[in-house]
Amino acid sequence: MTSHDYIQPVRRILTEEDLTRWQSSESYNGLVAFIVRLADSVKGKELGTECELTPSVKDILKVLDSIQTIIGRHPVVTDKDISRFGKVEFRDFYDEVSSSADKLISLIDKTSELPGVSKELKVYLVESWGNRTRIDYGSGHELNFMCFLYCLYKVGILDLESDSEALVLVVFKKYLDNMRILQTKYWLEPAGSHGVWGLDDYHFLPFLFGAAQLAPMERMRPSSIHIPDYVDMFKDKFFYFACIDFINQTKTGAQSLRWHSPMLDDISGVKKWSKVAEGMIKMYKAEVLGKLPIIQHVFFGSIIAAPEGVSATRDLSGIDEEHGHIHIDHDPDSNLHLNTFGDCCGIKVPSAVAASAMEKKHFRPVPFD
Amino acid sequence: MDIDTDVQMEDAVTAHDDSLVDDDHNSSSSESFDFSMNQKYSRANEAPGSNIDTLDAWIAQLSECKPLSEESVKKLCNMAIDVLKYEENVQPVNVPVTICGDIHGQFHDLMELFKIGGPCPDTNYLFMGDYVDRGYYSVETVSYLVAMKVRYPKRITILRGNHESRQITQVYGFYDECFRKYGSASVWKLFTDLFDYFPITALVENKIFCLHGGLSPMIETIDQVRELNRIQEVPHEGPMCDLLWSDPDDRGGWGISPRGAGFTFGQDISEQFNHTNDLSLVARAHQLVMEGYSWSHQDLVVTIFSAPNYCYRCGNQAAIMEVDESHERNFLQYDPSVRPGEPTVTRKTPDYFL
Repeated sequence: MTSHDYIQPVRRILTEEDLTRWQSSESYNGLVAFIVRLADSVKGKELGTECELTPSVKDILKVLDSIQTIIGRHPVVTDKDISRFGKVEFRDFYDEVSSSADKLISLIDKTSELPGVSKELKVYLVESWGNRTRIDYGSGHELNFMCFLYCLYKVGILDLESDSEALVLVVFKKYLDNMRILQTKYWLEPAGSHGVWGLDDYHFLPFLFGAAQLAPMERMRPSSIHIPDYVDMFKDKFFYFACIDFINQTKTGAQSLRWHSPMLDDISGVKKWSKVAEGMIKMYKAEVLGKLPIIQHVFFGSIIAAPEGVSATRDLSGIDEEHGHIHIDHDPDSNLHLNTFGDCCGIKVPSAVAASAMEKKHFRPVPFD
Repeated sequence: MDIDTDVQMEDAVTAHDDSLVDDDHNSSSSESFDFSMNQKYSRANEAPGSNIDTLDAWIAQLSECKPLSEESVKKLCNMAIDVLKYEENVQPVNVPVTICGDIHGQFHDLMELFKIGGPCPDTNYLFMGDYVDRGYYSVETVSYLVAMKVRYPKRITILRGNHESRQITQVYGFYDECFRKYGSASVWKLFTDLFDYFPITALVENKIFCLHGGLSPMIETIDQVRELNRIQEVPHEGPMCDLLWSDPDDRGGWGISPRGAGFTFGQDISEQFNHTNDLSLVARAHQLVMEGYSWSHQDLVVTIFSAPNYCYRCGNQAAIMEVDESHERNFLQYDPSVRPGEPTVTRKTPDYFL
């Protein structure tokens, strides 16, 4: 891949039609195959198992360690904004990851052989930790971390033959550890949470990988997630049990998983883990990769190419969502008076009217709550 | 059950009388809602007794957290449309009243709310939307509140929240729950069709403006809210959308909402709005606040959130705001109710895992 032109990744999936195109695209198929391959590689394997770490995998772990160090540099000042959910110090953490993204990517030694690759990789890396403005996190952000690893594989820095197992059992584990720190420290809100009717507040992939780990086990049944001793015994060995343990620790006010996690309870009625593992992949395709509210946030560049025929991006329209504010001149004596482009902190942003006109042209993303 | 039937009769009959009075006196609402006089009179002449028995039976069933049959939901929604379509975009409400925020399907906590605030109809209630999504019992919660509304139309006001919408409930759980509990989407359809009729704001004694979200750059006066055609799906933009989606913010002026719908509005906006409309307060819900209520904009705006320990996770208190005859405000905070044993719903393996 010499003298390849890397491009700024942008969001391209805006409509249901785009979503359909995405689901039959090469990028979609590649990403699904990548995740399935990773899941297959950990069948029957436990967390903490010794596995070979190649230099690139070690480099990724350095990136994740550095991010953990950044978390440590931004303590929560408790008396600040105490009544609002989500700790605002998360934004300081996020900003530091964002501003040091190039440096973080450069920790992966082989990226130096691919000039400009950081432009694409860093978008996925930064997006992996949640949303800065809303102080939330969900399976879409988790998907960005998969995209990050997938890009590293596509540009030849990772090799699935040698790295798959370590990517799940060590790299993804480390990512999940960082996420657990972020979620509990900054009280991240679940992004687009279905509440009790979702699989989990934050994650999907640890259930998918976790079920794959357990798939060959014939004797232990999925219903064992209800037995505290089993959860305790297996939480350090299998992602699935680690997640159940996290839920049991964080969900309060109900005795039983059945109250706050009816979906996991339903799944626990399945006879075999191998069935759970297969189902998780089907469910991931439908509930994550097949849902517009999530996929509208997926970025496409040269490594993960946009499906053919999808909408033009809304990212270059001048509306910077993350910037988060606009100015409207409001004259109470006349009709609502709007300037078309206010100069806001040096960044051109459109007025509400311009923004809504733009949105009409480009379709409006499903809002958050 | 020992209930004062006189009061109940009076309430249900009053509703029909009121709908006539409302219509005769309010030309703007009769223009927006198309129905024939004959239908209206025949409805008013119906003996309400059988309806009251039915409603009381439904309320008794629902208060045990047992969902109604699909057939009953259909009847209930039709009855509710007959009540709600006569309500105004800015529904007038008298003191004393107890104002409540998001519930989100936390049925047991709603029962706790009525314990803390006093039973309805002895206490008047104003709910500011978001009855469904995320919680385990959205179906039971919204069925119960709608049944109470039809039974005691003068005693309880139920506004529309941003979650009372087809698009949002398909993303955030109510659709899944209806499908799970009824085996099809028909109950979801009945309720989301009903949501279109919910009033979008209320005005307590011309002084406290109550709504789910917040202000809109396209609404300067409360009269402008009265002119909206609210009987529709919550639009993606525009004044009706903003009223259900906006949030107050520390920054002045209007801001783009990180939610992707509605706006953020600063203290200057609240000052102007309350001044223009001679209001003492904007009461709204829509945001989780740890103490259950939270003042902003130097007490011009209050946020009320009535789902304690939201999603079994947030550790927040819930609150409701009592406003008495002399307009004195009093907040009642409460913690989550104890969940009894195990949920009654039986396990069902999701299709993905069959």
